[in-house]
Amino acid sequence: MKVSVGDVVLPGDFSEEIAAVGEKGKVILGPGLRKEVDGIYITKAGTLKKRAPNTFWVDNYQKRYIPARGENVIGIVVQKAGDIFRVDVGGSCTASLSYLSFEGATKKNRPKVVNGDVVYAKMLVASKDMEPEIVCVDSHGKKGRLGVLEDGFVFKCSLNLIRKILNPECPLLNSLKNEWPFELAAGMNGRIWIKANTMRETIALGNAILGSEYLSNDEIKSMCTNIASILAGHIS
Amino acid sequence: MAGLTKNMQLPKSVLDMKFMKKTRERIEKELENTQDHGSLYSNIITNEMRSASGNFISESSFIFCETMLDGRLSFKGMNPEIERLMELENGDKTEECSGEMVKDVSDDILAKKMEKFNKKRPNPNPVSELKNTKRKK
Repeated sequence: MKVSVGDVVLPGDFSEEIAAVGEKGKVILGPGLRKEVDGIYITKAGTLKKRAPNTFWVDNYQKRYIPARGENVIGIVVQKAGDIFRVDVGGSCTASLSYLSFEGATKKNRPKVVNGDVVYAKMLVASKDMEPEIVCVDSHGKKGRLGVLEDGFVFKCSLNLIRKILNPECPLLNSLKNEWPFELAAGMNGRIWIKANTMRETIALGNAILGSEYLSNDEIKSMCTNIASILAGHIS
Repeated sequence: MAGLTKNMQLPKSVLDMKFMKKTRERIEKELENTQDHGSLYSNIITNEMRSASGNFISESSFIFCETMLDGRLSFKGMNPEIERLMELENGDKTEECSGEMVKDVSDDILAKKMEKFNKKRPNPNPVSELKNTKRKK
Protein backbone atom coordinates (compact mmCIF):
# COMPACT_ATOMS: atom_id res chain seq x y z
CA MET A 1 0.00 0.00 0.00
CA LYS A 2 1.16 3.51 -0.71
CA VAL A 3 1.95 5.43 2.46
CA SER A 4 3.04 8.93 3.36
CA VAL A 5 4.74 10.59 6.31
CA GLY A 6 2.82 10.25 9.58
CA ASP A 7 0.94 7.11 8.55
CA VAL A 8 0.95 3.83 10.37
CA VAL A 9 2.99 1.58 8.09
CA LEU A 10 3.51 -2.14 7.70
CA PRO A 11 6.36 -4.12 6.14
CA GLY A 12 5.91 -4.21 2.38
CA ASP A 13 4.33 -0.79 2.10
CA PHE A 14 6.06 1.65 -0.20
CA SER A 15 6.48 5.39 -0.23
CA GLU A 16 6.50 7.37 -3.45
CA GLU A 17 6.96 10.53 -1.46
CA ILE A 18 10.46 9.53 -0.35
CA ALA A 19 11.38 8.29 -3.82
CA ALA A 20 10.34 11.67 -5.24
CA VAL A 21 12.53 13.54 -2.75
CA GLY A 22 15.37 11.16 -3.60
CA GLU A 23 15.29 12.17 -7.24
CA LYS A 24 16.07 15.76 -6.31
CA GLY A 25 18.74 15.30 -3.69
CA LYS A 26 20.29 13.21 -0.98
CA VAL A 27 17.93 11.36 1.35
CA ILE A 28 18.78 9.64 4.61
CA LEU A 29 16.85 6.42 5.12
CA GLY A 30 16.72 5.54 8.77
CA PRO A 31 15.74 2.27 10.41
CA GLY A 32 12.77 0.51 8.86
CA LEU A 33 13.24 1.75 5.32
CA ARG A 34 14.95 -0.04 2.47
CA LYS A 35 15.75 1.00 -1.04
CA GLU A 36 14.88 -1.53 -3.69
CA VAL A 37 15.35 -1.13 -7.41
CA ASP A 38 11.78 0.06 -7.94
CA GLY A 39 11.20 2.18 -4.88
CA ILE A 40 11.47 2.69 -1.16
CA TYR A 41 9.93 -0.08 0.94
CA ILE A 42 8.99 -0.26 4.60
CA THR A 43 10.52 -3.12 6.60
CA LYS A 44 9.10 -2.47 10.08
CA ALA A 45 5.66 -1.88 11.54
CA GLY A 46 5.31 1.56 13.08
CA THR A 47 4.77 5.17 12.10
CA LEU A 48 6.64 6.77 9.25
CA LYS A 49 8.43 9.88 10.43
CA LYS A 50 10.31 12.67 8.75
CA ARG A 51 12.74 15.26 9.96
CA ALA A 52 13.44 18.26 7.78
CA PRO A 53 14.95 18.45 5.31
CA ASN A 54 15.27 14.84 4.17
CA THR A 55 15.56 12.24 6.89
CA PHE A 56 12.97 9.48 7.01
CA TRP A 57 12.56 6.61 9.41
CA VAL A 58 10.00 4.26 10.91
CA ASP A 59 9.34 4.73 14.61
CA ASN A 60 8.38 1.32 15.92
CA TYR A 61 7.97 -0.46 19.22
CA GLN A 62 10.91 -2.75 19.75
CA LYS A 63 12.65 -4.53 22.57
CA ARG A 64 15.23 -6.51 20.60
CA TYR A 65 18.44 -4.57 20.14
CA ILE A 66 20.15 -4.64 16.78
CA PRO A 67 23.66 -3.18 17.02
CA ALA A 68 24.23 -0.03 15.01
CA ARG A 69 27.39 1.99 14.62
CA GLY A 70 27.86 5.03 16.84
CA GLU A 71 25.31 4.15 19.49
CA ASN A 72 26.09 4.25 23.18
CA VAL A 73 25.16 1.02 24.90
CA ILE A 74 25.27 -0.55 28.33
CA GLY A 75 26.89 -3.96 28.38
CA ILE A 76 27.76 -6.57 30.95
CA VAL A 77 31.17 -8.22 30.79
CA VAL A 78 30.60 -11.97 30.57
CA GLN A 79 33.98 -13.36 29.63
CA LYS A 80 37.64 -12.48 29.50
CA ALA A 81 39.21 -13.95 26.37
CA GLY A 82 42.87 -13.08 26.05
CA ASP A 83 43.06 -9.56 24.67
CA ILE A 84 39.35 -8.88 24.64
CA PHE A 85 36.37 -8.88 26.91
CA ARG A 86 33.12 -10.39 25.69
CA VAL A 87 30.31 -8.05 26.56
CA ASP A 88 26.62 -8.86 26.50
CA VAL A 89 24.82 -5.90 24.93
CA GLY A 90 21.51 -7.61 24.26
CA GLY A 91 22.19 -8.24 20.58
CA SER A 92 22.22 -11.56 18.77
CA CYS A 93 25.79 -12.19 19.88
CA THR A 94 28.17 -10.72 22.39
CA ALA A 95 30.24 -7.68 21.52
CA SER A 96 34.00 -7.60 21.83
CA LEU A 97 35.75 -4.95 23.85
CA SER A 98 39.52 -4.73 23.60
CA TYR A 99 41.33 -4.15 26.86
CA LEU A 100 43.32 -1.44 25.08
CA SER A 101 40.22 0.62 24.38
CA PHE A 102 40.07 2.10 27.84
CA GLU A 103 41.53 5.44 28.80
CA GLY A 104 45.18 5.13 29.78
CA ALA A 105 45.33 1.40 29.11
CA THR A 106 48.53 -0.08 27.73
CA LYS A 107 49.70 -3.61 27.20
CA LYS A 108 51.35 -3.55 30.61
CA ASN A 109 48.73 -1.47 32.38
CA ARG A 110 45.52 -3.43 31.94
CA PRO A 111 42.22 -1.91 33.01
CA LYS A 112 40.65 -3.41 36.09
CA VAL A 113 37.57 -4.96 34.55
CA VAL A 114 36.15 -8.24 35.81
CA ASN A 115 33.28 -10.48 34.79
CA GLY A 116 29.94 -9.01 35.72
CA ASP A 117 31.06 -5.40 35.43
CA VAL A 118 28.70 -3.01 33.71
CA VAL A 119 30.28 -0.85 31.01
CA TYR A 120 28.95 2.13 29.11
CA ALA A 121 30.50 1.90 25.66
CA LYS A 122 30.19 3.11 22.09
CA MET A 123 29.53 0.81 19.14
CA LEU A 124 32.55 1.04 16.90
CA VAL A 125 31.84 -1.74 14.43
CA ALA A 126 28.37 -3.15 13.89
CA SER A 127 27.73 -5.18 10.81
CA LYS A 128 25.20 -7.84 9.92
CA ASP A 129 27.70 -10.62 9.58
CA MET A 130 30.24 -9.87 12.24
CA GLU A 131 30.52 -9.64 15.96
CA PRO A 132 30.06 -6.03 17.02
CA GLU A 133 32.97 -4.19 18.58
CA ILE A 134 32.62 -1.62 21.32
CA VAL A 135 35.07 0.87 22.80
CA CYS A 136 35.22 2.88 26.01
CA VAL A 137 37.23 5.81 24.61
CA ASP A 138 36.56 8.47 22.01
CA SER A 139 38.75 9.16 18.98
CA HIS A 140 41.09 11.30 21.09
CA GLY A 141 41.71 8.45 23.54
CA LYS A 142 39.72 10.21 26.28
CA LYS A 143 37.07 8.34 28.20
CA GLY A 144 34.56 11.19 28.23
CA ARG A 145 31.33 9.71 29.50
CA LEU A 146 32.18 6.12 28.71
CA GLY A 147 33.72 3.50 30.94
CA VAL A 148 32.89 1.10 33.74
CA LEU A 149 29.75 1.97 35.70
CA GLU A 150 30.28 1.36 39.38
CA ASP A 151 27.53 0.63 41.90
CA GLY A 152 24.06 1.62 40.79
CA PHE A 153 21.23 -0.43 39.42
CA VAL A 154 20.57 -1.70 35.88
CA PHE A 155 17.16 -2.45 34.43
CA LYS A 156 15.82 -3.19 30.99
CA CYS A 157 13.14 -1.38 29.04
CA SER A 158 11.96 -0.99 25.47
CA LEU A 159 14.15 0.80 22.96
CA ASN A 160 11.41 3.41 22.52
CA LEU A 161 11.55 4.45 26.14
CA ILE A 162 15.26 5.22 25.84
CA ARG A 163 14.59 7.47 22.89
CA LYS A 164 11.68 9.06 24.68
CA ILE A 165 13.53 10.03 27.83
CA LEU A 166 16.58 11.24 25.91
CA ASN A 167 14.46 13.47 23.71
CA PRO A 168 15.21 17.09 24.68
CA GLU A 169 11.48 17.83 24.78
CA CYS A 170 10.69 15.09 27.28
CA PRO A 171 9.95 16.68 30.69
CA LEU A 172 10.95 13.62 32.74
CA LEU A 173 14.59 14.45 33.39
CA ASN A 174 13.91 18.17 33.63
CA SER A 175 11.35 17.67 36.36
CA LEU A 176 13.46 15.16 38.26
CA LYS A 177 16.82 16.86 38.07
CA ASN A 178 16.12 19.39 40.82
CA GLU A 179 14.52 16.93 43.21
CA TRP A 180 17.39 14.74 44.44
CA PRO A 181 20.93 13.92 43.34
CA PHE A 182 21.15 11.06 40.88
CA GLU A 183 23.17 9.75 38.00
CA LEU A 184 21.86 7.99 34.94
CA ALA A 185 23.23 6.20 31.90
CA ALA A 186 20.85 5.20 29.15
CA GLY A 187 22.06 2.74 26.54
CA MET A 188 20.42 2.62 23.15
CA ASN A 189 20.18 -1.16 23.67
CA GLY A 190 17.30 -0.76 26.10
CA ARG A 191 19.21 -0.78 29.35
CA ILE A 192 19.28 1.96 31.92
CA TRP A 193 21.74 2.29 34.76
CA ILE A 194 20.80 4.53 37.65
CA LYS A 195 22.54 5.54 40.81
CA ALA A 196 21.26 7.63 43.70
CA ASN A 197 22.29 8.13 47.30
CA THR A 198 19.66 5.94 48.92
CA MET A 199 17.69 2.89 47.90
CA ARG A 200 14.41 4.82 48.15
CA GLU A 201 15.67 7.40 45.71
CA THR A 202 16.94 4.75 43.30
CA ILE A 203 13.60 2.94 43.32
CA ALA A 204 11.73 6.21 42.86
CA LEU A 205 13.89 7.13 39.89
CA GLY A 206 13.49 3.69 38.29
CA ASN A 207 9.74 3.78 38.75
CA ALA A 208 9.54 7.29 37.32
CA ILE A 209 11.43 6.22 34.21
CA LEU A 210 9.47 3.02 33.66
CA GLY A 211 6.18 4.73 34.44
CA SER A 212 6.70 7.43 31.84
CA GLU A 213 6.60 5.06 28.88
CA TYR A 214 2.94 5.51 27.99
CA LEU A 215 2.30 8.93 29.55
CA SER A 216 1.90 12.30 27.88
CA ASN A 217 4.19 15.19 28.78
CA ASP A 218 1.70 16.72 31.23
CA GLU A 219 1.08 13.39 32.89
CA ILE A 220 4.83 12.86 33.27
CA LYS A 221 5.15 16.21 35.00
CA SER A 222 2.39 15.47 37.49
CA MET A 223 3.78 11.98 38.11
CA CYS A 224 7.21 13.44 38.87
CA THR A 225 5.85 15.98 41.37
CA ASN A 226 3.84 13.18 42.93
CA ILE A 227 6.89 10.94 43.30
CA ALA A 228 8.99 13.80 44.62
CA SER A 229 6.44 14.67 47.29
CA ILE A 230 6.14 11.05 48.38
CA LEU A 231 9.91 10.82 48.63
CA ALA A 232 10.13 14.06 50.58
CA GLY A 233 7.73 12.58 53.12
CA HIS A 234 4.80 14.90 52.55
CA ILE A 235 2.60 11.96 51.66
CA SER A 236 3.22 8.53 53.11
CA MET B 1 54.76 8.70 -7.72
CA ALA B 2 53.25 5.25 -7.76
CA GLY B 3 50.34 6.51 -9.86
CA LEU B 4 52.67 8.01 -12.41
CA THR B 5 54.70 4.83 -12.84
CA LYS B 6 51.53 2.79 -13.20
CA ASN B 7 50.21 4.90 -16.05
CA MET B 8 53.53 5.14 -17.84
CA GLN B 9 54.27 2.52 -20.44
CA LEU B 10 57.60 1.35 -21.64
CA PRO B 11 58.38 2.17 -25.26
CA LYS B 12 58.00 -0.64 -27.73
CA SER B 13 61.65 -0.58 -28.69
CA VAL B 14 62.62 -1.32 -25.11
CA LEU B 15 60.05 -4.10 -24.75
CA ASP B 16 61.37 -5.75 -27.86
CA MET B 17 64.77 -6.24 -26.27
CA LYS B 18 65.69 -9.77 -25.28
CA PHE B 19 65.96 -9.29 -21.54
CA MET B 20 62.50 -7.64 -21.36
CA LYS B 21 60.70 -10.85 -22.26
CA LYS B 22 59.12 -11.37 -18.83
CA THR B 23 57.94 -7.78 -18.55
CA ARG B 24 56.42 -7.99 -22.02
CA GLU B 25 54.45 -11.08 -21.05
CA ARG B 26 53.28 -9.48 -17.85
CA ILE B 27 52.01 -6.38 -19.61
CA GLU B 28 50.13 -8.48 -22.16
CA LYS B 29 48.52 -10.46 -19.35
CA GLU B 30 47.43 -7.29 -17.57
CA LEU B 31 45.85 -5.95 -20.74
CA GLU B 32 43.92 -9.17 -21.22
CA ASN B 33 42.68 -9.09 -17.66
CA THR B 34 41.32 -5.56 -17.89
CA GLN B 35 39.58 -6.27 -21.16
CA ASP B 36 37.90 -9.40 -19.79
CA HIS B 37 36.71 -7.57 -16.71
CA GLY B 38 33.72 -5.90 -18.32
CA SER B 39 32.44 -9.03 -20.05
CA LEU B 40 32.96 -11.21 -17.00
CA TYR B 41 30.15 -9.62 -14.98
CA SER B 42 27.99 -8.42 -17.86
CA ASN B 43 25.29 -10.98 -17.17
CA ILE B 44 25.10 -10.04 -13.48
CA ILE B 45 25.27 -6.26 -13.72
CA THR B 46 21.94 -5.03 -14.98
CA ASN B 47 21.20 -1.67 -16.51
CA GLU B 48 19.21 -0.80 -13.42
CA MET B 49 22.29 -1.33 -11.30
CA ARG B 50 24.24 0.99 -13.55
CA SER B 51 21.57 3.67 -13.47
CA ALA B 52 20.84 3.35 -9.74
CA SER B 53 21.67 6.70 -8.23
CA GLY B 54 23.46 7.07 -4.93
CA ASN B 55 21.01 9.58 -3.54
CA PHE B 56 19.86 7.33 -0.73
CA ILE B 57 21.97 6.91 2.36
CA SER B 58 20.96 4.06 4.62
CA GLU B 59 21.36 4.62 8.32
CA SER B 60 20.65 1.81 10.73
CA SER B 61 20.56 3.90 13.87
CA PHE B 62 17.99 6.25 15.33
CA ILE B 63 20.65 8.53 16.74
CA PHE B 64 21.12 10.14 13.35
CA CYS B 65 17.38 10.59 12.81
CA GLU B 66 16.16 12.00 16.09
CA THR B 67 17.73 14.68 18.22
CA MET B 68 18.79 13.09 21.45
CA LEU B 69 20.66 14.03 24.57
CA ASP B 70 23.80 12.20 25.48
CA GLY B 71 22.85 9.12 27.46
CA ARG B 72 25.09 9.72 30.45
CA LEU B 73 23.73 12.31 32.84
CA SER B 74 24.29 13.40 36.41
CA PHE B 75 22.33 15.88 38.50
CA LYS B 76 22.85 17.75 41.75
CA GLY B 77 26.47 16.81 42.17
CA MET B 78 26.18 13.02 42.05
CA ASN B 79 29.10 12.72 39.63
CA PRO B 80 30.99 16.02 39.28
CA GLU B 81 33.04 14.71 36.36
CA ILE B 82 29.96 14.06 34.23
CA GLU B 83 28.36 17.34 35.31
CA ARG B 84 31.41 19.27 34.18
CA LEU B 85 31.14 17.64 30.74
CA MET B 86 27.41 18.43 30.64
CA GLU B 87 28.07 22.06 31.54
CA LEU B 88 30.67 22.35 28.80
CA GLU B 89 28.17 21.04 26.27
CA ASN B 90 25.30 23.19 27.50
CA GLY B 91 27.56 26.23 27.68
CA ASP B 92 28.33 25.88 23.99
CA LYS B 93 24.63 25.67 23.17
CA THR B 94 23.58 28.74 25.17
CA GLU B 95 26.33 30.83 23.68
CA GLU B 96 25.27 29.82 20.21
CA CYS B 97 21.66 30.77 20.97
CA SER B 98 22.22 34.24 22.44
CA GLY B 99 25.22 35.17 20.30
CA GLU B 100 26.04 38.08 22.63
CA MET B 101 27.24 38.30 26.17
CA VAL B 102 25.20 40.02 28.84
CA LYS B 103 26.39 43.60 29.10
CA ASP B 104 27.13 45.37 32.35
CA VAL B 105 27.62 48.73 30.56
CA SER B 106 25.33 49.65 27.69
CA ASP B 107 26.71 50.71 24.31
CA ASP B 108 25.55 54.34 24.73
CA ILE B 109 27.30 54.86 28.03
CA LEU B 110 30.44 53.26 26.66
CA ALA B 111 30.41 55.54 23.61
CA LYS B 112 30.07 58.69 25.82
CA LYS B 113 32.85 57.58 28.11
CA MET B 114 35.12 56.84 25.20
CA GLU B 115 34.47 60.29 23.70
CA LYS B 116 35.65 61.95 26.90
CA PHE B 117 38.62 59.68 26.96
CA ASN B 118 39.62 60.61 23.41
CA LYS B 119 39.27 64.36 24.09
CA LYS B 120 41.72 64.13 26.96
CA ARG B 121 44.30 62.54 24.71
CA PRO B 122 43.98 64.02 21.23
CA ASN B 123 47.00 62.17 19.91
CA PRO B 124 46.85 58.84 21.68
CA ASN B 125 49.84 57.22 20.09
CA PRO B 126 52.37 59.67 18.65
CA VAL B 127 55.33 57.36 18.96
CA SER B 128 53.92 54.67 16.73
CA GLU B 129 52.93 57.24 14.12
CA LEU B 130 56.49 58.49 14.01
CA LYS B 131 57.71 54.96 13.51
CA ASN B 132 55.27 54.43 10.69
CA THR B 133 56.39 57.55 8.87
CA LYS B 134 59.97 56.46 9.19
CA ARG B 135 59.21 53.12 7.71
CA LYS B 136 57.42 54.68 4.80
CA LYS B 137 60.50 56.70 3.96
